[in-house]
Amino acid sequence: MKNALSIYWKYCFLLISLLVATEAVSQNKPSDKKPEIKELDEVLINGNSAEKRKKEASLNVETVNSSFIQRNLGGSLMQSLQKLPGVKTISIGSGGSKPLIRGLSFNQVIVVENGLKHEGQQWGADHGLEIDQYAVNRVEIIKGPSSFIYGSDAVGGAVNIKPLPLPTRNSFGGSVDLTGKSNNAQFGSSINLFGRNENWFFDSRVTTMDYGDYRVPTDVVHVYSYAVPLYKNHLRNTAGRELDFHLSSGYSGEHFKSVFYFSNVHTKSGFFANAHGLEPRNVDLELHDKSSRDILMPYQQVNHLKVGNTTSFQLGNHAFETQIGFQNNFRREYSHYVNHGYMPPIYPKDMYAPQDLERQYDKDVWSFSAKDEFRIQNHQITVGSNVVFQQNEIGGWSFLIPSFTQFNAGLFAYDKIELNEKWFLNGAVRYDYGKIKMKSYYDWFQSPVSENNQTELEYLQRSQDLTKTFDSFTWSIGANYNPGKLSLKANLGSSFRMPIAKELASNGVNYHYFRFEKGNPNLDAERSYQLDLGMEWNQQNWSFQLTPFVNYFPNFIYLNPTSAHDIYYGAGNQVFEYEQSKVFRYGAELQTRYYFLKSLSAEIAAEYLYSEQKSGSKKGYTLPFSPPPSVLLGLNYEPQISFLKEPYFSVDYRFTAEQNNIVPPEKKTAESHVFNVAFGSKVKTGKQDISINIQIQNLFNTKYLNHTSFYRLIELPEAGRNIIVSMKIPFSVSR
Amino acid sequence: MKNLKFLLGIFALAFISSCSSDNAEIDTEYPVIDISVTDAFPIQCSTIERGKTFTFKATFNDNVELGSYSLDIHHNFDHHTHSTEVTTCEMEAVKTPVKPMLFISNYTIPNGVKSYEATAQITIPADVDPGDYHFMIRLTDKEGWQTLKGLSIKIL
Repeated sequence: MKNALSIYWKYCFLLISLLVATEAVSQNKPSDKKPEIKELDEVLINGNSAEKRKKEASLNVETVNSSFIQRNLGGSLMQSLQKLPGVKTISIGSGGSKPLIRGLSFNQVIVVENGLKHEGQQWGADHGLEIDQYAVNRVEIIKGPSSFIYGSDAVGGAVNIKPLPLPTRNSFGGSVDLTGKSNNAQFGSSINLFGRNENWFFDSRVTTMDYGDYRVPTDVVHVYSYAVPLYKNHLRNTAGRELDFHLSSGYSGEHFKSVFYFSNVHTKSGFFANAHGLEPRNVDLELHDKSSRDILMPYQQVNHLKVGNTTSFQLGNHAFETQIGFQNNFRREYSHYVNHGYMPPIYPKDMYAPQDLERQYDKDVWSFSAKDEFRIQNHQITVGSNVVFQQNEIGGWSFLIPSFTQFNAGLFAYDKIELNEKWFLNGAVRYDYGKIKMKSYYDWFQSPVSENNQTELEYLQRSQDLTKTFDSFTWSIGANYNPGKLSLKANLGSSFRMPIAKELASNGVNYHYFRFEKGNPNLDAERSYQLDLGMEWNQQNWSFQLTPFVNYFPNFIYLNPTSAHDIYYGAGNQVFEYEQSKVFRYGAELQTRYYFLKSLSAEIAAEYLYSEQKSGSKKGYTLPFSPPPSVLLGLNYEPQISFLKEPYFSVDYRFTAEQNNIVPPEKKTAESHVFNVAFGSKVKTGKQDISINIQIQNLFNTKYLNHTSFYRLIELPEAGRNIIVSMKIPFSVSR
Repeated sequence: MKNLKFLLGIFALAFISSCSSDNAEIDTEYPVIDISVTDAFPIQCSTIERGKTFTFKATFNDNVELGSYSLDIHHNFDHHTHSTEVTTCEMEAVKTPVKPMLFISNYTIPNGVKSYEATAQITIPADVDPGDYHFMIRLTDKEGWQTLKGLSIKIL
């Protein structure tokens, strides 16, 4: 304990000394040169607009483009973005992950694609984000409460995947992306084709991925104290496949633009066979280990379909934008039937669900939004509204959450005031209304219930018909001050999140974690207040950025492990019940880069987060999935070589501190030291440049645990050495 | 420049205030299931007879306060695994269950207790399938830390 405290003070001291240092630095006279970033034309425009956005938005915004993703390519989008401080992931296997921004995830972080809020099954730790990272051109990450922009759920932050830039006039071309990964023997390819005449355009893409079981640097994994041997370091049954289609098409004129979007992302991936199910069956090792590429039970299959239209037009001083969208998320989880509680030992023949279909979720979402942006003197005002309706059906032989329908509507106004070149003020207000209607559900089997010494068999009710409504008023105020090389920002805002069906009405077993989860119908909408600060210093050979925040939740929704056990459905497993508690959090990210030479630079990216529950059953404890402090040290060398264009060579070392701040059922995680190497270049070939990127992740095949991994609880180390080769071959057809 | 200093002052203040903490001691220790005592029953590879009542006996310990425990007997005719014991027992061949024994029950532990001698009477009906079974003990402490013990037993 004493040790923990001293570490704690060390971090505090570090942060304070950083502040003092910046104060000293900021007194230097700013010079007027700006750092030049060499990039493609298209990206340069984006880079500048991102810079502008950063200077005018009072929330902390990070923008990355496709070349960043290509250089840091991971198994899935969020894994590719992990280098950004404050951004982590909860990963499931090698091909799926979900965003963890400053320690918040699940329904507290939203993902927006082409203006449409992505709606999958965000609540599940095993449910990865259904986004094709090859189709991503530019991502904006807001590290802070964004409810005033996006409504409910954006308490922790937002990942905004921007629409693709339109092809240039009278063009026809495309590109081929090829990727290979050594660790899980992955082959990926993505083919893009686009074209445009004066005003009409299309942009299409097909992505395929096929990967085998991934490898970890260990022979044995301890799944809840039971030793599981691994065959050739392969994590049994974690292979997967993905097939995605995208098409956007539309018209772009001077005052009118209308774009239709279509995308379908389909994945099938296995779960680690020894760690799924209430009683992990003695896995047929021979069958599973015969091939590292087959996907056997247990596995999940997810299809995410999105269709939408965004239309914008100019009327005088007003810029209008409307958006209509439909999404379907269809998820099935397959596993051998294992009776638990009082389920019959043999699966009944006349059941409504196939014997291996453990769970099924079918979600339809219709959304509509409209906004108007206009200027009055130095005010840039945006007013808008959005309406979302969703319908959720469940299937399969097990029960965790009920079917439900949900309606949300919001109204917002946002004002950006440009006081002068240096000062910007931001203010926003928003009103939200939400209604959730859950359906009743009874067990399909009988359980004995004792009352007055009489035991009777009953079909137990898992969930009741229940309708809840919520409304909320949120606000945000902020200021930006940009005197030359220095920029400062501050933002104070509130945000809210409506409780989800799982939090209100779950009543079943979580098969990944051997626990019984129980909803709480009396939950209030979660509220959060956050103060965000930001300071940035940019000069020719040096840049620095510090983004601290303080955050308070009067009623954080939290799944509390109780000391009770459930003897029915839960087969004697521990009961976890949703509760609300006061939560106080603070933290900071730091990024700095120094150029020793024009071609040689060093980078430091660090993050720190502290969370504490201030009331409730777990008073004094942290929140689950709290990322430990980490520092990334990087060296980047970009020499001038005549026949190559923009060659680079970089070495990263990430030190992640131990995490001793835990809450049941977590385990303390030791510190880790991981090295990555990356190099690549563009090769001139006629008009287009082929780019080649090579990465070696976990260079020394280090065995380490990631505190925020889905598989952390079963002591599963992270993936071993992984060599990733990716190539982008663009082509164009002149007309 | 004045504005700047003011802002930086606020930044510093926010940090210093956020760095003060009244961190109370929190419990991060798991409760302990002890079946090494002389009369503990069942232990790994114990056998139990049908139509008879046996007494479950184990000692539970926790550094702060015990919570509750649950016992569960389910068949292992399919040779699934969650034994936490090192020794393995001799098993019968895989077979299809007809009328397997299923027992699930939870038990309370008196409040404020750090050490507890748990005993429970369990009756095995005479008509259940004999064979390999698992005997699961799940013990929690008040904070929700849980310890599992999965024992292989045989019903004769």
